[in-house]
Amino acid sequence: MMGEIRTQEFIVNMGPHHPSTHGVCRLMLTMDGEKVMKVEPYIGYLHRALEKICENRTYHQCIPILDRFEYVTAMSCNYTFALAAEKLAQIEVPERAEYLRVIMLELNRIASHLIFFGTTAMDLGALTPFLYALREREYIMDLFEMTCGQRLTYNYIRIGGVAKDIPAEFVPQCREAIKIIGKKVPEYEGLLNENPIWKARTIGVGVLPPELAVAYAASGPILRASGVKYDLRRDDPYSIYDKFEFDIPTRPNGDVFDRYILRLEEIKQSIRIIGQALEGLPEGDIKAKVPLKFKPPAGEVYSRIENSRGELGVYILSDGTDKPVRVKTRGGSYNHLQLIPEIGTDCLIADLVAIFASFDVIMPEVDR
Amino acid sequence: MTTEQLKDYIASRFPVMMTLLETGRREPMYEVKAGQLLEVCRALRDDETLKFNYLCNIGAVDTQERLEIVYSIASVPNRLRLDFKVVLPREGASIESVQEIWPAANWYEREMWELYGVDVKAHDNLKRFLLPDDWDKGHPMRKDWDDPDFVRFPEIE
Repeated sequence: MMGEIRTQEFIVNMGPHHPSTHGVCRLMLTMDGEKVMKVEPYIGYLHRALEKICENRTYHQCIPILDRFEYVTAMSCNYTFALAAEKLAQIEVPERAEYLRVIMLELNRIASHLIFFGTTAMDLGALTPFLYALREREYIMDLFEMTCGQRLTYNYIRIGGVAKDIPAEFVPQCREAIKIIGKKVPEYEGLLNENPIWKARTIGVGVLPPELAVAYAASGPILRASGVKYDLRRDDPYSIYDKFEFDIPTRPNGDVFDRYILRLEEIKQSIRIIGQALEGLPEGDIKAKVPLKFKPPAGEVYSRIENSRGELGVYILSDGTDKPVRVKTRGGSYNHLQLIPEIGTDCLIADLVAIFASFDVIMPEVDR
Repeated sequence: MTTEQLKDYIASRFPVMMTLLETGRREPMYEVKAGQLLEVCRALRDDETLKFNYLCNIGAVDTQERLEIVYSIASVPNRLRLDFKVVLPREGASIESVQEIWPAANWYEREMWELYGVDVKAHDNLKRFLLPDDWDKGHPMRKDWDDPDFVRFPEIE
């Protein structure tokens, strides 16, 4: 005689130290057998009060602090803050500095997408892409090290320009690097695109409809993989992006596979931009005259740029002294993590790992 | 639509509810009364010419006399950007949640509730998340917040 088997939902903590959560993030899962019924993200493990620290620093001192805000693309953090401060004080940036900034930002975007490509594949069980991606990323890290001495937190883009000029061997070495990376991207595609295991794990998983993406303010590759053509480099132009020719790739389905393909496409576009920027790189100053005791006039500004993880924004309120009254940072991951409870339910834990990886969430950007 | 056209349109569409602040900057900054926040936000989102359907950021600011909540919104179909703020008293600050208009507001509002002590009405999930669960030392982003471990950076000459 078999009685009825009693079943009940149970709760599993995924993280804070799970390798696939890319930092310290805890997802509390309510499970029904193998199925995830409910996800609740718990954040704050990396909260370093960067915004509070910035209020006690002068504008120049804020830049190395914001390096730590999103360390995979620290150039973008430098740049957003510098852009906001320049808007406040209405500083005209020399043309050569703008070209150097674009080159660095795009190199950093490629480096970040390579990390995405490697770690996502590793989370889904393929180790080789990670080794390949880090091998190519090394070319970019060498270029950064040659320019500013740092490999991760650069403190390179300053208010009014850049910290120092590139060395003479930078341009040929950069051309070589983008040539190599450009050749390797088809190799990556050959590794995964037609791989039956990869396709089974990613196609149709974690579908994000465009309406939901806009409602939750998803941005960057995640928004474009859902078919919304919105790229701040085009639609809210900053720096000198209007001088370059590049396409904005979009994908129709909004699943994990599309988010992966889209980022590889973006690497190709970044290579195009860097090629044009190296071609047109003018001679001249690399920094506008900005006093050490930089005091922008009282006012407030919100500046935003297209980062590899979506919209990166900085809000600054100035009262005319040399310290900001308020610095508020906004990273793409903050909004993408909010989406996990929406699209991460009714799937397996293994799918949740794929979704989380495809969002390319980085926790320091969320916790600040 | 250029910034000037946007300014003109807002002036004709919201003559009373949105006040243009003189800030001397290129992008306009508006002030909205706390009581009319939901009405204005809904109109900004649903207006055919504007369609502000994308919430970029909500930032709270403590100016020591008052609290300001700054909303940065954008329109994806029309490629527009707009900032406006709501001014609240420092004591007993309370504001309506804009979650039902822009779901992305959820965490931003939770954050300002936690770090600034702004009470958010009709919010579905006001729980601590950036600070430890057992935090009892007040709202650390307020300017008058102090703690023995908090060291102010010395002035440089």
